[in-house]
Amino acid sequence: MIDEGVKALFNPKSIAVIGASRHPGKIGYTILRNIIDYGYKGKVYPVNPNADEILGLKAYKSILDIPDEVDMAIIVVPEKIVLKVAEEAGKKGVKVLVVITSGFSEVGNVEAERKLVEIARKYNMRVLGPNIFGIAYTPLNLNATFGPNELKPGPIAFISQSGALGIALMGWTIMEEIGVSAIVSMGNMADIDVVDVSEYLADDPNTKVITIYLEGLKPGTGRRFVEEMKKITRKKPVIVIKAGRSKRGAAAAASHTGSLAGSDQVYSAAFKQAGILRALTTEEMFDWARVFASQPLPEGEETIIITNGGGVGVLATDAAEENGVKLLDPSPELKEAFRKTMPWFGSPKNPVDLTGQAVVENYVEALKIAFESPEIHNIVVLYCQTAILDPRELAPAIIKVVNKYNNKKPIVVGMVGGIETYEGMKILKKNNIPAYPSPEKAVVALSALIKYKRYLEKRSQP
Amino acid sequence: MNPREIIEKALREGRRKLLEHEALHVVKHYGAEIAEADIAYTPEEAGEIAEKIGFPVVLKIVSPDISHKSDVGGVIVGVKTKEEAVEAAKKILENVSKKAPNARISGILVQKMAPKGLEVIIGGLRDNIFGPVVMFGLGGIFVEVLKDVSFRIAPITINDALEMMSEIKSAKLLEGYRGQPPVNKEALAKTIIAVAKLLEENPEIDSIDLNPVIAYPDRALVVDARIILRQYEK
Repeated sequence: MIDEGVKALFNPKSIAVIGASRHPGKIGYTILRNIIDYGYKGKVYPVNPNADEILGLKAYKSILDIPDEVDMAIIVVPEKIVLKVAEEAGKKGVKVLVVITSGFSEVGNVEAERKLVEIARKYNMRVLGPNIFGIAYTPLNLNATFGPNELKPGPIAFISQSGALGIALMGWTIMEEIGVSAIVSMGNMADIDVVDVSEYLADDPNTKVITIYLEGLKPGTGRRFVEEMKKITRKKPVIVIKAGRSKRGAAAAASHTGSLAGSDQVYSAAFKQAGILRALTTEEMFDWARVFASQPLPEGEETIIITNGGGVGVLATDAAEENGVKLLDPSPELKEAFRKTMPWFGSPKNPVDLTGQAVVENYVEALKIAFESPEIHNIVVLYCQTAILDPRELAPAIIKVVNKYNNKKPIVVGMVGGIETYEGMKILKKNNIPAYPSPEKAVVALSALIKYKRYLEKRSQP
Repeated sequence: MNPREIIEKALREGRRKLLEHEALHVVKHYGAEIAEADIAYTPEEAGEIAEKIGFPVVLKIVSPDISHKSDVGGVIVGVKTKEEAVEAAKKILENVSKKAPNARISGILVQKMAPKGLEVIIGGLRDNIFGPVVMFGLGGIFVEVLKDVSFRIAPITINDALEMMSEIKSAKLLEGYRGQPPVNKEALAKTIIAVAKLLEENPEIDSIDLNPVIAYPDRALVVDARIILRQYEK
């Protein structure tokens, strides 16, 4: 059961910003401005005892002075008065506290954090944070963070246990044309944790894939994490990047097994059992997320590579073998069909080599065959920049074919070359076709999709 | 004694480690097959136990104060008759009384010698984040040098256990290698599950090492078991 507090986090009817500021550069200013500018449709109440009006909104001396109900209270005041305003928020009937303020358990101030949770429990509130950069939920036009404000809406949810990296990656998603549904900063996880947020997002129709930057779980919470995430990964793919090390009781090292059990390996086992895909870099996490966000799950394992260069074809073949992507051995009929799409010195085997002579039409014809052939389940398109084929022309042609076939098979694109290829990839990404600057990345991203399909099949067996 | 009694007795006596025969019996109780063993308190008893479990046997000193048994002459292998067993027990007691005169002696473990097979290590520990965790790896350099092991969070199913085995890099050795027959993976899985259950049902246990477990085409035998208990803060 998802409780009202967690629901209010993603669907507040009204928000109070306690510690809203008139001064640009202050976090209390940026958050309020982001909420207003990103187009949140609910009511917003700045709370500041020293101001009458902030950013054109009437300011209140205390949350208790607000004449309406308040669902969410964002707390940006100094640590010393957090407990006081939390108590007031409780009296006001707030459902969820979003505590931006730092200076709690992360610096050893465990007692204040414990009291914060105690106050929340007393008034039946939930707490996100403390020590966070906020929450954004694009379907609601809500950006209650002090990060960038040009978030691109889309189906990827991103949960971050790191503040600075989380904000940095917010900016990065904008640059990379990555559409997000939610961005949630977890901070100290005094109350609401990664599992609570993932549970909500698993049933959120605006989210297709959940990505998590995880630093570590709290002692004793690992089993719940595995058990609950197991249910969530049945509904949606979850990709985690895990950094840092947990503190293990020194006693464990007394045994042989203990000395071998680097906590990281235990985390890996937990992710595997929970059906979570583990990425090793943030880039990889979003590379994979992009495939899940835009591509259907494959019907089968058989994969075809279509390329205009032998070299990238071989690199992709290696990556396929290393990552468990099965390359199709095409039937004679299929080879014959591909043969017609290429010059006489091309190769209709897999990788299908259209040669450096390939122009848009060659790719289009080969792609059509790939979409139509029942032998093929997954498509990898590779392109090496050539003088006769501009990637900015190839990209729209690929989009057209994919749309013609209603994106019924997963497709990934890898483009290698100069600045024009980046422009070509940008066009593809904007049109929901995952494109990567190397053949390996394209194949590895596809492998994540195939792995998830296998996982679902395994889980559906009795 | 059942596992609860064994654990409680050790704690009462202020021991953080179960004695060899205790650990083996606990593991056996949870469904793992062990190389048959019992503790003798006199040389004559060692002879009787040896006759009961069958030859050849190995005799080992059991003492909470001795961890490197061979160094104090506390191990004699390849014992083939009852008389030899009695003599071996006397010899061990004599060696130990000279080389470790202050060690407390609990008795002498008499254990059936396990035939050659594939040595694996099965372990378990209590992780402070995930709780009971089990480990599987192949013995010798595979674990010591290559750290080629896999883990799972308990509770686990037989499929989880089988997956753990297929996950290690040296998994092919389980399938048979240079004429060796493949080992019985179900028997190993059963042993892994026993370790998981042991940790789950006995919160006093901190970690378990079954090293080695010897795997054969038809079964898997736990030869050495080490069970460490947690220190409770009073």
